[in-house]
Amino acid sequence: MARADSLAKLAFAYGVHLTRRRLTRPRSQLATLLETYAHDGIRPLLPEERGRHAQLIGCINCGLCALAAGRVGKVRLPDLASSYMRLYARLGEAASDVDGDSPDLEAAAAACPVGVPLGEVAAIVRRLAAG
Amino acid sequence: MSAPSAHDVCIVGGGVTGAGIARDLSLRGLSVLLLEKGDWGAGTTGNSSWMIHGGPRYLEFDWNTTRLSTQDAGYIVSIARNLVYRVVFIIPVMPHDKNNIERMETAMEVYDRFQPLKKAHPHTRLTAAEALQVEPGLTPDLIGAVTMEEWGVDPYRLVFANVQDAIAHGARALNHTRVVGLVRDGGKVIGVRYRGSDGAMSEALAKVVVNAAGPWVPEISHMAGADVHLRPAKGIHIVYPHRISNFSISAESIDGRDLLMVSHAGFTLLGTTDDDFYGDLDSVDVLEDEVDYLLQAFERVFPSIRAYRPVRTTTGVRPTLFKWRRYEDELSRRYEVIDHATDGAEGFVTIAGGKLSMYRLMAEQTSDVVCRKLGHQAPCVTATRPLPGNESDVEPAAELGRRFGITALAAMKLQTRHGSNAGAVLKDSRSGRMICRCEPITEAELAHAARHEQVRTLADAFRRVGLAAGPCAGAACVLRAAGVIGSELEWSASQRFEAAREFVRGAWLGRAPVLGHSGWAQEELAAGSFRGLSS
Repeated sequence: MARADSLAKLAFAYGVHLTRRRLTRPRSQLATLLETYAHDGIRPLLPEERGRHAQLIGCINCGLCALAAGRVGKVRLPDLASSYMRLYARLGEAASDVDGDSPDLEAAAAACPVGVPLGEVAAIVRRLAAG
Repeated sequence: MSAPSAHDVCIVGGGVTGAGIARDLSLRGLSVLLLEKGDWGAGTTGNSSWMIHGGPRYLEFDWNTTRLSTQDAGYIVSIARNLVYRVVFIIPVMPHDKNNIERMETAMEVYDRFQPLKKAHPHTRLTAAEALQVEPGLTPDLIGAVTMEEWGVDPYRLVFANVQDAIAHGARALNHTRVVGLVRDGGKVIGVRYRGSDGAMSEALAKVVVNAAGPWVPEISHMAGADVHLRPAKGIHIVYPHRISNFSISAESIDGRDLLMVSHAGFTLLGTTDDDFYGDLDSVDVLEDEVDYLLQAFERVFPSIRAYRPVRTTTGVRPTLFKWRRYEDELSRRYEVIDHATDGAEGFVTIAGGKLSMYRLMAEQTSDVVCRKLGHQAPCVTATRPLPGNESDVEPAAELGRRFGITALAAMKLQTRHGSNAGAVLKDSRSGRMICRCEPITEAELAHAARHEQVRTLADAFRRVGLAAGPCAGAACVLRAAGVIGSELEWSASQRFEAAREFVRGAWLGRAPVLGHSGWAQEELAAGSFRGLSS
C-alpha cells in the first residue's frame, strides 16, 4: 500500500514537473550551486588540475623530497603532498600553514620515485587554501 | 569467575545502535552495561558508506521512511557538529540510463521537500557543459546532471562519542569482550556470560538484555532460544586515500544499481555492492570481481578512475530484515524492535535491521520498550543533547595550532575528532610531535586515545584517530605508534612488535584486492619500512 501510494505521488510530481518545464524558461543554476557550497570549501578543480590529478595525489610518503628541499611555508614537503592534498574542502582553515617561502620544488620533484609534480602540488594547495 | 555485576540493562553489540541505546538509557538514569566483542563500530557501522543520508531511494517505497530518516539525520547533524560535513553529489545522467533527466529531477524536487529537516540545500540541475565545469573528470558523453546534498560522518567517532557520553552518565562499556551465553532463570533472561579482553570469564545480571548485535543478532537470539531471521547482505567499498573530487558522484552499475563515489573529509569511498551473504560473519573477504564491478560502473561516468591508487577495501554485512523473493537492492532498510517475552524469553529484546542514518531513532524506540518493561518513566533527550565535544563552538584551528605548536591542519583534524575538547587532548600529555603525518596525528592524541578512549590495539587506534588511514598505509607510523600506545599500556618490546605485526597483517587483507602498479610501489616501500613485520 505504501509502495503504491509512493509511486502514485511520484507520478503526480512527474506530471507537475513536466508541465512546469514546458511553461517556464530554464535558467542556469551553476552559479547558485558554486555559491551555495563555496563556504564549505567545495569548489571545482580546474581542467588542467583534473588532467594531472592522479599524479598530483600519487605521494607514497617516502620522505625523499624532504632531503632535496625544505618546507613550503611551515609545511614539510612530504606532508604537503600526503596530508594537505587530502583535504581540499578545508584547506582554507589551514591557509596560514602554507604562507611563506617555497624551496626548490623542481629538485624535490626530481627526487620523487613516483613522479609527483611538487610544484603543481604547492600551486593547487595554495589556490584552494586561498579560497 | 568473579561475583556477577548487576545492572538495569545489558546491551550486546557496540555498533552505532548499541552505543546509541547505551547513551539513551544512561541519560534516562538507568544503569547500563555495554559489551562489544571487537572494537566500537568495527562491524557494520564502520564499514558503511560513512553517510547520514535521508534516503531518496525510499521515495519509491515509503515517503514516511524518507521523512523519518531525514528528520533523524537533522538531529544527528545538530548533536555531532564536529563529526559531520556536507557531501554534494553530482548525479550524471547518461544515454540509456534507467532514469532520464526529467525523472531524476522530479525525484530531487520531491526530496527537496525533506531536505530542510536535515539542514541541507535543495538540488540544482546542470547542463552537460555545466556539469563538466563543476567536475572536469566526468565523461563528455553525459546528457546533463542533477545535484543532491547529504551529510558525511565519521562513524567510528560517532559510535565512540555515544559510548563516551554513556560512560559519563554512569554506564560501563567494555570492548574486546565477547558474550558467550545468556543467564536464564526459567523463562526469563536475567543476564549474560562474557569473556573479557584478558580471557577471564564473568557474569553480569540485568533486568533486561538488549540484543543490538547487527548481523550477529540471530546468533545472540539463539542463545535465548528465540529465532530472529535476517537476510544478511554483504557490501564492499574501495578506499582512495584522497579526495578524488570535491564533489561526490553517482553512477549506474551494469545491473542498474545506484553506486556512489563519496568524497569524505580526506578520502574517497567508492561503493557499494549488495549481495546475499551466507559465510562466516567474522571473516568476510573482498573479491576482485567485486572491485571490478564497482570500477566498471564508474569508468562509464568518470573515465580516469583506474588511474587512481586505492589504498584498501572495506567490507561489512548489513543486518537486513528477512524477506523472501526480492533482489537484495530492493530490500527495505526498515527496522524492528522485538520483545521476546512471547518466545519464552522474558527480559530479552532485539533491535534488528535499520541503517546508520536512523541509529538515534532506533535507539530511542528500543529504549522506550526497555523503559516500559522496567516501568521506568523518563523521556528521551538524545535528539537535542549534544554529544561530547559539541557543547560549545570550536576555536579557530590556526589559533589552537599556535597555542600547542602544531600546524593549523593538524589542529583542524584534531577538532574534527574531538570537537571543543581538542585543546584538552593536547594538554593531556606530552608533545605535539607527529606520529602519523598523513592524517596527521600527534603523539599526545595517540597517548590520550590509549589512556582515555579504550584503544587496546593499533587497529583500535585506526578507528579512533585514523592511524595509518592515509596514503602511506602506515609505512611511516606503525612502529612509532606501537611505541606510544605500548608505553601507555605497558607493553614489552616484543608485545609492541607483535601489535605492529598484527596490524600490518590485518591491513594487508584489505589492501591486497586493489593493488595496482603504483600500489605495489607503495607496498615495496612499506615492506622496507616495516623491517620484516609483513613477512
